[in-house]
Amino acid sequence: MHRILPILFTLSLCTSAIRAQKPEQAEFFEKKVRPLLVSNCQACHNAKVKTSGLDLSSAAGFQQGGGSGSLVSKDDPKTSLLLQVTSYEARLKMPPTGKLKDEDQTTLRTWVEMGAPWPGGSAAAAPKPSGTGKHVTEADRQFWSFRPVTRPEVAAVKDMGWAKNPVDRFILARLEEKGLKPAPPADKPALLRRVTFDLTGLSPSEKEISDFLADQSPDAYAKVVDRLLASPRYGEKWGRNWLDVARYADSTGNDEDHRYPYAWRYRDYVVGAFNSDMPYNQFVREQIAGDLLPASHPGEINRRGIVATGFLALGAKAIAQQDKKKMLYDVYDEQLDVTSRAIMGVTLACARCHDHKFDPFLTRDYYSLINIFANTKDFKDPDTHVSQLLSTPLAPKAEVDRYLAAGKRAEAKQLEMEDLVDQHLERAVAPEVAKVADYMLAARRVYADNVSVSAAASDKGLNEAILEKWVKYLKPRGESRVHLDKWQQAAAAQAPQIAGEYKADFDQQLAGWQVKLAEWRTKFRSADPEHFPAKPKFEASDDRFFFETYIAGPFATEKKDRDKNLPPDLQAKIEALKKEHEQLKAAIPPEPDMACAVQEGDPVEQKVFVRGDYNSPGEPAPKAFPVVMTREQPSVSHGSGRLELANWLSRPDHPLTARVMVNRIWNWHFGEGIVRTPDNFGKMGERPTHPELLDYLASEFVNGGWSVKKIHRLILLSNAYQMSSDVTDTAQQADPENRLFSRFPRRRLTVEEIRDGLLAMDGSLDYTMGGTLQSGTGTDGENSEARLSIRPETVKRRMVYLPLRRANLPTLLNLFDFGDATTASGKRALTTVAPQALFMMNSEFISERSKNVADEVTKTNSDPGARVRTLYMRVLNRQPDASEVDNALSYVSSFAQKFAAKRTESDAWFSLARVLIASNEFIYVD
Amino acid sequence: MDPITKSFHTTQRPVSRRAALRAAACGFGYLGLADLLSAATENPLAPKAPHFTPRAKRVIFLFIHGGPSHLDTFDPKPRLFRDHGKPLPIKRPLAFADEPAGPLMKPLWEFKPHGESGIPVSSLFPNVATCVDDMCIIRSMVGEGVDHGAALLQTFTGTSTFVRPSMGAWTVYGLGTENGNLPGFITIKPALSHGGAKNWSSAFLPGAYQGTAIGNAGMKVDDVKGEPIEYLLQKRFSPDEQRYELDMLQNINRRHAAMRAHDPQLEARIESFELAFRMQTQAPEAFRVEQAESDATKKLYGLDDPTTRDFGWQCLLARRLAERGVRYIQCTHSYKWDQHSDLFDKHTENAKEVDKPIAGLLKDLKARGLLKDTLVIWAGEFGRTPVSQGGNGRDHNPYGYTIWMAGGGVKPGFVYGATDDIGYYATEDRMHIHDFHATVLHLLGLNHEKLTYRYSGRDFRLTDVAGVVAQKIIA
Repeated sequence: MHRILPILFTLSLCTSAIRAQKPEQAEFFEKKVRPLLVSNCQACHNAKVKTSGLDLSSAAGFQQGGGSGSLVSKDDPKTSLLLQVTSYEARLKMPPTGKLKDEDQTTLRTWVEMGAPWPGGSAAAAPKPSGTGKHVTEADRQFWSFRPVTRPEVAAVKDMGWAKNPVDRFILARLEEKGLKPAPPADKPALLRRVTFDLTGLSPSEKEISDFLADQSPDAYAKVVDRLLASPRYGEKWGRNWLDVARYADSTGNDEDHRYPYAWRYRDYVVGAFNSDMPYNQFVREQIAGDLLPASHPGEINRRGIVATGFLALGAKAIAQQDKKKMLYDVYDEQLDVTSRAIMGVTLACARCHDHKFDPFLTRDYYSLINIFANTKDFKDPDTHVSQLLSTPLAPKAEVDRYLAAGKRAEAKQLEMEDLVDQHLERAVAPEVAKVADYMLAARRVYADNVSVSAAASDKGLNEAILEKWVKYLKPRGESRVHLDKWQQAAAAQAPQIAGEYKADFDQQLAGWQVKLAEWRTKFRSADPEHFPAKPKFEASDDRFFFETYIAGPFATEKKDRDKNLPPDLQAKIEALKKEHEQLKAAIPPEPDMACAVQEGDPVEQKVFVRGDYNSPGEPAPKAFPVVMTREQPSVSHGSGRLELANWLSRPDHPLTARVMVNRIWNWHFGEGIVRTPDNFGKMGERPTHPELLDYLASEFVNGGWSVKKIHRLILLSNAYQMSSDVTDTAQQADPENRLFSRFPRRRLTVEEIRDGLLAMDGSLDYTMGGTLQSGTGTDGENSEARLSIRPETVKRRMVYLPLRRANLPTLLNLFDFGDATTASGKRALTTVAPQALFMMNSEFISERSKNVADEVTKTNSDPGARVRTLYMRVLNRQPDASEVDNALSYVSSFAQKFAAKRTESDAWFSLARVLIASNEFIYVD
Repeated sequence: MDPITKSFHTTQRPVSRRAALRAAACGFGYLGLADLLSAATENPLAPKAPHFTPRAKRVIFLFIHGGPSHLDTFDPKPRLFRDHGKPLPIKRPLAFADEPAGPLMKPLWEFKPHGESGIPVSSLFPNVATCVDDMCIIRSMVGEGVDHGAALLQTFTGTSTFVRPSMGAWTVYGLGTENGNLPGFITIKPALSHGGAKNWSSAFLPGAYQGTAIGNAGMKVDDVKGEPIEYLLQKRFSPDEQRYELDMLQNINRRHAAMRAHDPQLEARIESFELAFRMQTQAPEAFRVEQAESDATKKLYGLDDPTTRDFGWQCLLARRLAERGVRYIQCTHSYKWDQHSDLFDKHTENAKEVDKPIAGLLKDLKARGLLKDTLVIWAGEFGRTPVSQGGNGRDHNPYGYTIWMAGGGVKPGFVYGATDDIGYYATEDRMHIHDFHATVLHLLGLNHEKLTYRYSGRDFRLTDVAGVVAQKIIA
């Protein structure tokens, strides 16, 4: 409850008292007091909304006090109004939403006792409104990741024989420094399995294995690498890697989890970009501002570019959030976060409420970038109850207009038809509508005096069916209906009079409503059917009684009865209109392809928000890039600035873009990056283990036209990649975490590799590429099947093509560390827990794969030894040795014998297949 | 010859000498116990010591989804009877409803004092009212979300703006679990809407701390019972057969591991299969609610009545899981309490479904001596407005609402905090959701400022940078 009282005080504040006298006091104010005022007071007491005349957002406003006078007493600070009011001791209690916490009250007391020092001028004029007062210094610019990439000399090494290419020399140099030797080469089957899973997410086929083993040429392995890089499976695997970074999913997650019905086009774009080796600088530019880049043919729509901006559009959003401004700024924040983490490997979003705690990013830098996203459009309409997501047509305007116009024409015809019926129904019920008071009184007789409906109706010449509905409506229920209270509390004697009052209100509403309808009908009749005015709607909140009786109550005709018993001439008219409507509907051209993408928005002037609160705008934040990374700022003459951002990010001299991407590529090949925190190149991230190698790769990347496949070849053809994963005791002791890459790190398959790999293994994988597995565009009712993601066990397409609902990721994905698709992630977590084992042991998915492969292997091989060998080849991609064959055979026979009562030999083969699939050797790639 | 004991001496794969020696020594046989123990120390769910002596060892969170009206249940407001029909005397804060605020609406149920404490409870909850002397009613909850999604996410993760681990995940991260054969964090029939799995997710914490969902709110109990935990049941093989298969698997895995030195993840995965086998043998027993419990117990929870059976089953299962050492258990009464209209009929119906089961749970826990170290929490995502919506409903109200706790070290028969005289805003002893989280962790022996996890270069907490423990409610 507000209790704002007009107590008048005289201004008695000592001006000098509000001047900050000591730096500690200024700090105390900025750290403790200002945040408290911002979050508890300024919503009502700011420069714009001066509730009770008080503005607590500036020193001047504070000094002036409000309607109740000055806030601080210089004679006796303890009795200051500010303290009385906030301690809830005075009659006036603030804030009205509840007493401040004890610690906050202590803060205010301390501050007032200091003399209430308020540094500088108003919040808006303060030079560092919210941060820690940091500046970007030259030393900040010298932090390793912000320095320009330099091309290092290739390191000198002793064992030149081992070093196949420059990558090896950088690796070997560090190993030699530590007196370590690189591990010996991996054997051929292990290497083939490693590189095939790595590049395609699938295991090598039997034929691929035997071809490779048979190929004794020196470039046998290089040929394999080329073959794999040319396979469409490559884009599916590496596109998925990027989709992790782009936190891709098919729904908004957060609250309502609405679908992004066209998200899949962005996913297909990513797969295609990797397959076609799109230069990475172009890939970056398109994802930030593809809609603003020219199409390949003049005059056309840049379909690919528009789709690419799905990168910005597909984040998690809370679209039912009612504070719409907060929702929008959360969306911009999310876009800034994914852009800075994914492309630059920095956590710029931390500077939303305060300067970055560890890195040289100021709140000002943050809002300068936010300015770009705030001028970008993400919603069709953000201000509806549940904000409406934006869909962008991928067709020329004329085509879209034709489509929309045809739809409108059909809609107009439909409306014309419905309104004819409405008019008829309105006329038909009019005589009864005139008798509202009679209906109320008759209803009362029925529910209060137990008169029968038919008797009560016939006494007054009322319609029985309508009266019955009136009875149902007016009969008192346990609940209170405020708008009916008066009627229900009326004594019998007063009832006619009260009914009359209700009728008077009703008639007035009816008259108004009829005028509104008539006006609309006139306009509608003469309107162009492509631009007809919407039919007015009577809202329940306009007048509840009228709404509940006339619009949706006793006088209204239920939908199912609307078309019954129409007069013949009207019926004929309707039939004719129906035909016309059908024709119009048939004439609607196919819907243009759509994308979930961003567009240029309406111009917004962005300011720094003090403490991240949009209610506290501070200094202007013109579009700019983080100061620490650039000395040149963009000039944005028109538009959002996304194009300038895209160009800046993809500059060859950007300190982070190339470094971050080559590190990602290395990380996905080796399971660890040269920088082991691939999404954080800031102070809290790790330093590169091989800084020269990182810069070498980055410069090769840029010089090689940003070709991702060239970097793959450089890495994959190195000896470093081809090392065995065995570790010697010496290497283990000297480098337990393998930071020097003295051996190839063994890695567990990802959930996609486990699932897709096994489907491919038993021949069930459907290699169809692209498109969507969902129909329609909407989100269905709560808890319906449609809210669930499609379970990866139930379809055969590659996992990358399955829709991902953020709020309901399938169990399998959660089990095997898929992540949550809400934050850019270049490296998945890795856990080993019992429920994963349950999946291998018990799931129908694994049983089916085991059964399929066992049946096939036993059918095609009569020799048991050959069966075992084929099983090993299929599942583990290598030949078993003799003892492994023996071991497997004795398992099969002992299993069949031991459980002979119920089991056959084919069950035993099934069991053996499942053993191999569940084995460590399957799931860990050497 | 049995493959398990069969030895294995040759190897085709080039391996280090030491690895070859290990392989030769181990063959296809078992590794020593020491190896298994070293794998066990990797277990992220192993019990951990709390920061200080806990008052509660586990949590049962009864989530009443939709926003039960505090004004019609646990927070009586005489002024609403007096000023029924009058306009809202204050400026309405951000609302969920599009329409203008309706007039004040009186509570639709009558309040009477109950128990020795004399705490008033409305006639909506006649059974719960009999337990009031065990309950600590918090009438001053404050959240920020006016829509369900934001409010659920904040209730369970502390924020609706970012993706954060849920309270259950933090709890298991902090304390581990007492029963390795069951998940440490189980949520029974959770809602898939309003954030869905985000409300029981581990976010950036390791996946092992993620809640395990038993069915979902849209499912019937009988459909959930079949396979409560996905992949838990072996449908083709008997336990003997599966054990035999598992022995073969472990035999192959051990040889594989023996040839690869210094790789604890291989040992950990071997152990995870043993644990999985124990889980699948022992966990189903916990879910055999109807077979294992006596008729009297089932009656106590209302399993004999179709109205109360669903939530009764959830509550009784919660007790069984609590007994078996599951750290954090949540029951959800599905999204039914959102009475923008039909408040009287629908709240009546909803309360009937949960009243008896909740009282049954409290009484049963008490009788078994479990209540003293089990913290029971009853909460919705927000309360409802003192003004009417559409004449017979109430809108969302996160600015002041009621939750209650019982057992686990909270003061019994105690009322904490208050709202203003119309019940719109919390005014006394406000308990923001951060404070609520800080308090729950405190009861579990965890200091919310010290329970941190380093992610993306900074230490995260359930309570972000806020949270004050409500010392006054601690017994």
